[in-house]
Amino acid sequence: MSEHELRDELKSPAEPLLPIEKKLIGWSLGIGVALLVLLAIINHFLPVS
Amino acid sequence: MTEAVLTPTASGARRLGEDGLAVIVGVGVLILALVSLAGPDLLGWAVTTSVWTDPAKALGAVSKAYADLGGAGALATTYVALLVVLSAGVAALGAEARNFAVAFTVVFVIAYASWFVGSWAHIAAVTPADQAKFGVSWSLRLTNEGGYIVALIAGLVVANAFPRFADWLKEAIRPELYIKIAIVLLGAFIAVTAAGKLTLASSLLLRGVAAIVEAYLIYWAVVYFIARKWFGFSREWAAPLASGVSICGVAAAIATGGAIRARPQVPVLVSSLVVVFAVVEVLILPFLAQTFLSSQPLVAAAWIGLAVKTDGAAVAAGGITESLVLAKAAAEGINYQPGWLIAVTTTVKVFIDVFIGVWAFILAYIWTNHINVKPDAEKAKLSEIWARFPKFVLGFIVTFVAGLALALGGAGPKLAAAVGEANTFRVIFFILTFFSIGVLTDFRKLWREGLGKLAAVYLVSLFGFVIWVGLIISWLFFAGVKPPLVG
Repeated sequence: MSEHELRDELKSPAEPLLPIEKKLIGWSLGIGVALLVLLAIINHFLPVS
Repeated sequence: MTEAVLTPTASGARRLGEDGLAVIVGVGVLILALVSLAGPDLLGWAVTTSVWTDPAKALGAVSKAYADLGGAGALATTYVALLVVLSAGVAALGAEARNFAVAFTVVFVIAYASWFVGSWAHIAAVTPADQAKFGVSWSLRLTNEGGYIVALIAGLVVANAFPRFADWLKEAIRPELYIKIAIVLLGAFIAVTAAGKLTLASSLLLRGVAAIVEAYLIYWAVVYFIARKWFGFSREWAAPLASGVSICGVAAAIATGGAIRARPQVPVLVSSLVVVFAVVEVLILPFLAQTFLSSQPLVAAAWIGLAVKTDGAAVAAGGITESLVLAKAAAEGINYQPGWLIAVTTTVKVFIDVFIGVWAFILAYIWTNHINVKPDAEKAKLSEIWARFPKFVLGFIVTFVAGLALALGGAGPKLAAAVGEANTFRVIFFILTFFSIGVLTDFRKLWREGLGKLAAVYLVSLFGFVIWVGLIISWLFFAGVKPPLVG
């Protein structure tokens, strides 16, 4: 890919976020935060010996 | 959900080849080292470097049984052994062994010379007692692992000042291979370290799970959103970029590119950015960790594993961080056991690596069923998860389990000595990794037209989000946990 092609491609109009992408982002963050909270609770009740 | 489009790339196939070679070399070195438990010392000739003021006394064989070799003899023997083994290995990967041998000779000379320079007392001596011992009035206090930084800088000079020379060396510039061999060797070292405090080690493993959640579910989603929404990147660019920043640099960007059927140039360009930023992180983060996190050594170690991308840069930065943090603690009269920091960094990194295949499959499923729906698209199966599994991790597990079994079986000081000899090779592969990463880091790429926007996403995500969230999570799970003290 030449520099010219790369520049033109990266300047092309933005594609809007599809509902499935919003779902992917939302579910990832939701599950991620929930798991981190769960792990933090486990961490609290099972301290390092 | 058993079908999705995944196209293994040529580079992916090559990576799997390097993984297999890394396992063979790493496990082979460990087996040779363990023979000493039964009698003969087969690896005691490996070269090691002490902190020096008199260069003639710097080098030596790792075992006293080979003291007659002298420093130059040990160095030459080590070079020849590595040359033969690695040349045969890359030939098995389909590369030209003769070209590799010539380039490797130069790489080894520059890399080991960097290590040698880094062991100079004016660079390496840490405490006032060390300075008095070596008769030096000042020192950069980088520990002898400051040699890694010297090797990295040497590589950067080669890449940016002598690009034609860097191109000539490319056959032997294989940071992924070198670091994977080192990680396989690290398995036994970490096992012997962990065996003394098994409860602590298992607690740390449990906390490493948080790293997987953070990298895949938090980092990836946020970076993808930033790339798409704020910077207007297409899906084809945003997904490999998010994987490169969030997960494991080069390997993740390539796996994601394959999963969503991006053009091959896309993950390659992303990967070149990953390497450049990883080098910047290696040059900065260990020193920040020493300055601000020396009272929380394991927070520092986990943070490095979460923040520095690419296996080579992360694990190597963990090694530097351990040296710097332990040296600062030692200067304050606290002597932590070595090995625990690099164990945490490596565990975090390996845990993250393991799920690359799973994540690639999930993305492939979403892309082929909801984004790029093509009825005639080639279908792949769940077996792709295994195809993209980083096989060198198996080598790490094998050496870890073997080391742990022997340590718990009472092999004792002899095992520590044997693993110490294998660890000498781990250090050499680290040095080769640092130099190779430097040679691959061409800062002029950042000025290439068009790449600036990609670099901006990387910069905003890495320094505005990834390293700070990584710090918070590391603090949450590792604060207050200290490595055991010596003695």
